[in-house]
Amino acid sequence: MIVAQQKDFDEIKEMIRGYKRLLVLGCQTCVAICFAGGKHEVEVLASMIRIDRKMAEQDVEITEDTIVRQCDFEFIDPIKDQVADSDAVLSLACGVGVQTLAERFPDKVILPGLNTDFMGMTEKMGVWSERCAGCGNCILDKTGGLCPIARCSKGLLNGPCGGSVDGKCEISPDVDCVWQLIIDRLKGLNQLERLEEILPVKDWGVSGHGGPRKIVREDLTA
Amino acid sequence: MKDFQPKIEAMVCTYCTYTAADMAGSQRLQYPSTVRIVKYPCTGRISIVHILKAFEAGADAVFVGGCEVGSCHFVEGNLRATERVAYAKKLLEETGLGSDRLDMFYIGASDPHGFVNAVNEMTDRVKEIGPNRLKGLG
Amino acid sequence: MYATKQAVISKDHDREIEPTIFYIDIRAQGKGFDRYYERARYGGGVRYVRSMVSRVVENPDRSLEITYVDESGEISKEDFDLVVLSVGLRPNSAMRDLAQKLDIELNQFGFCRSGRLDTVATSRDGFFVCGAFQRPKDIPNTVIQASSAAGAATGLLADARGTMVKEESYCEERDVKDQAPRIGVFVCHCGSNIAGAVDVKAVAEYARSLPDVVFADEYLFTCSTDTQNEMKNVIEQEQLNRVVVASCSPRTHEGLFQDTLRETGLNKYLFEMANIRDQCSWVHAAGGVDVTEKAKDLVRMSVARSARLVPLSETAFEVTPAALVVGGGMAALTAALSLAEHGHKAYVVEKSEKLGGSARFIHYTEDGARPAERVKELIRNVEKNPLITVYTNAEVLDCSGHVGQFASTILAAGKKHSISYGVGIIAMGGKMHKPKEYLYGEDDRVLTQRDFEQQLAAGGDELADVKDVVMIQCVGSREEGHSYCSRVCCTDAIKNSRKFKELNPAANIYVLFRDIRTFGFKEIYYKKAREEGVRFIRYEPESKPRVIEGDRLQVSVYDQNMRAEIGIEADRVVLSAAIRPYAESRKLADVFKLPLDEDGFFMEAHLKLRPLEFANAGFFLCGQVHGPKFMDESIAQAKGAVSRACTILSKKEMFAGGDVAFVDETKCVLCMTCVRTCPYGVPKIDEEEGVIVINAAACQGCGSCAVACPRGAITVGHNTDEQYIAKIGALHGLVAAAG
Repeated sequence: MIVAQQKDFDEIKEMIRGYKRLLVLGCQTCVAICFAGGKHEVEVLASMIRIDRKMAEQDVEITEDTIVRQCDFEFIDPIKDQVADSDAVLSLACGVGVQTLAERFPDKVILPGLNTDFMGMTEKMGVWSERCAGCGNCILDKTGGLCPIARCSKGLLNGPCGGSVDGKCEISPDVDCVWQLIIDRLKGLNQLERLEEILPVKDWGVSGHGGPRKIVREDLTA
Repeated sequence: MKDFQPKIEAMVCTYCTYTAADMAGSQRLQYPSTVRIVKYPCTGRISIVHILKAFEAGADAVFVGGCEVGSCHFVEGNLRATERVAYAKKLLEETGLGSDRLDMFYIGASDPHGFVNAVNEMTDRVKEIGPNRLKGLG
Repeated sequence: MYATKQAVISKDHDREIEPTIFYIDIRAQGKGFDRYYERARYGGGVRYVRSMVSRVVENPDRSLEITYVDESGEISKEDFDLVVLSVGLRPNSAMRDLAQKLDIELNQFGFCRSGRLDTVATSRDGFFVCGAFQRPKDIPNTVIQASSAAGAATGLLADARGTMVKEESYCEERDVKDQAPRIGVFVCHCGSNIAGAVDVKAVAEYARSLPDVVFADEYLFTCSTDTQNEMKNVIEQEQLNRVVVASCSPRTHEGLFQDTLRETGLNKYLFEMANIRDQCSWVHAAGGVDVTEKAKDLVRMSVARSARLVPLSETAFEVTPAALVVGGGMAALTAALSLAEHGHKAYVVEKSEKLGGSARFIHYTEDGARPAERVKELIRNVEKNPLITVYTNAEVLDCSGHVGQFASTILAAGKKHSISYGVGIIAMGGKMHKPKEYLYGEDDRVLTQRDFEQQLAAGGDELADVKDVVMIQCVGSREEGHSYCSRVCCTDAIKNSRKFKELNPAANIYVLFRDIRTFGFKEIYYKKAREEGVRFIRYEPESKPRVIEGDRLQVSVYDQNMRAEIGIEADRVVLSAAIRPYAESRKLADVFKLPLDEDGFFMEAHLKLRPLEFANAGFFLCGQVHGPKFMDESIAQAKGAVSRACTILSKKEMFAGGDVAFVDETKCVLCMTCVRTCPYGVPKIDEEEGVIVINAAACQGCGSCAVACPRGAITVGHNTDEQYIAKIGALHGLVAAAG
């Protein structure tokens, strides 16, 4: 899922400066699951803003709301009145949600309350780590289910760089060398010879390096 | 040192701290009339939102009273509360209210003095730092 | 232990305090005690001196001088500011009189004489004993024995159970769901307990002015029958649908007032209490404006919450009048028979093909009891008892359900059986550790105490030409990875030494020990053993004894008294091996979702106050599965566990629901946060519906999951965010009416 974190309160305060009527809008999908932008986080942030403004003897009127997702117009449209009644919307969705809001309400100031970080998985409660870079051309079959694009600090595709120490990346002892993991995994699967396969040059055109991407499914377009 | 009567909200668990507070009563221990207790089944039920709302409502201080570590009636609720109180303190620091107005105490059911000490400590602390400015600001 | 605890706490109070404990043996044989002692001694700043103190005198400067002799015989003097004596426990002198009146025999020390294996039985039928009057003991064993005595008593009364109960019946409940709140506030004087410090009249008047309050008045004693009746009239007349009583503590009186509500047709969850006595008038006795102000605040906060209370329904479910007993040894069989005595069915699931467990190998105790015979008797009684079903060569494969209604599949000798039961008792025992040191397993002349006992019990023929025996204590106990004491081994060594001396008076027996833990009356046998010539040599764990092969076994050890290495030639070396949990404990812990402690024994709900049950509702434990213990202790714990289990089994039905958590299925996305947060393992995945379900009967209502849920999909009945925020927010005034 998409993993994000709330921006520092100081940064948020600066962004909302001068706006009196705020809509703090949460999202109940990815960002709720990583505890960055769900209903609870909306309540907490709204409380903090009210306290902070009152301490500075400044006015604020906050409307709190949380919708299922901010990346589908069908979920955004029903709250158009709340958006209209606000001076600015502080969205706690990922970058996708913020932009969808901005697209639907181009006359409103839509502010991002989160920093969207990566596509990752939950290792355990409170710990999320990056797994997928969205390269558009998955090679996980060749690397035993471990992605060197997302998880190799140098993004190497042909094998380890040789700088790892005890299976850890040379940039930090806290980061696994994914190529070590790949070799161990392929060994366990009896597929170590796959590493000797010559792969054609990767088409980075589908990875975003070639421009913003769009997918059109003819069989699904109404 | 203002001469104001602080109002402190205490969010406490039923099995330990609330019981200790009752026992302070049975033993007629005396303490300042600053605290208003809100009873929870377990401190694990306390949400950060509750704590922030208490300050928004004008509480001069808030303290959470839970079971002693390792003795939570519901196994680990007090550990959840500990984590959340620490986080709430951080948030309060960022809002300018400061983190001194909030704290957590571990008060076992048979520790009425522990409860009285908590009330005294928070009362003294609040008298030192002054009233919550949010009181009466609507 | 008392000394260690006080020393540790004194350092908590004042870091500068330097406690020294002068002792002969540290008897930290209880569960968790040895670890506590080790922590205090190594790193905790408590100094221990193994010694005998000869006198304490006061110095001219009023300090106290202690004269003592240490193990090597050296005499020393030390000065202290305070001397604390660890005195022994004597029976209350008044008991002699009472014992005579009740015609109960006392032992030679004035404590109650009890059975050797049935420690709650006195010399008189129908009279039971528990606690320190039976023998000085610690808190956990006191609590165990108390339930055990209760279980022994209720077992005898089983036929009369329920015959004197008066059933309460309530009128039909009023439906208030769509009504605006109509709150009634009843403020109590409690004589002068509250009125002495709080202006009750003013509080009642204030309550009347609050939004949604349609009635408020003051009463002398709200809990009196008269006032209760008046309350009922008011509720009906004013058609109240919420009630707030401002008086004492809900911990004691909530039930009473909830009953009152039910008698008028109001759901009990529409009741709220403000504590203006224990937490107000009693602790602010000087009274004054501020105290009345606080009482008003508390009433206003309660009114705010009560406006948002909703009726909750509890559903009744039948309690399956049967128990699952996992295990087949002394504890398990005692439990099964006690259950049957109470009139409940019991399923006994034993892993091996025979019943009896470790008790089969314990032929005699230090005081002459015969566990092996007792367990044979129990097996006979179990096999012919129509209420007990025994499965051998069996294991429990799974467990579903909740307290009062569990279901499991038993795999017994290849066949599967489905059973339903209301409670589970874990009694699968512990096993003897097989040492990997001192040549055990390599040389036949090195035995465990258990091996030795079998030979002794058989008459000692195999030991005919054995003259010199060395026993080594604490083999596998009190060491890294297993920092617990196996409790029984000191007594075992002494009982077997004496037995061997009986067979061969000329034998030389050396017991190599770290501490001798023959607690309570077992101390008598330690004294006898020394009088009979058994020699005790202390060793430090840093210099363990060594056993070398040869024509005879060569044992060498550093003797702490002589401060010299000594060598002993032995015909046999007997190891007091540790008690370990069975490896199957882990599997079983998984099946039932029960916790294990760091040593692999099962973890009770509370080390001191709830040693018979698990935090998980409906599960109990007894015997060595809880930790190493003596046969009489296993038997007492088994009866105690049954007594606790009967509080559930004696009910025809239980209620689930009310103040428990429930999941809004439209909001749950199976993020698994609640599953990871709940300490009881209650939230379960419903694959078909694609949501989490929380079993109302299993939920303990702590609310941790509700706060953790990132989508706010979980609500805890009677403890909603709305109710809390309303109460908290009413600190300085009420903002708006809820109606």
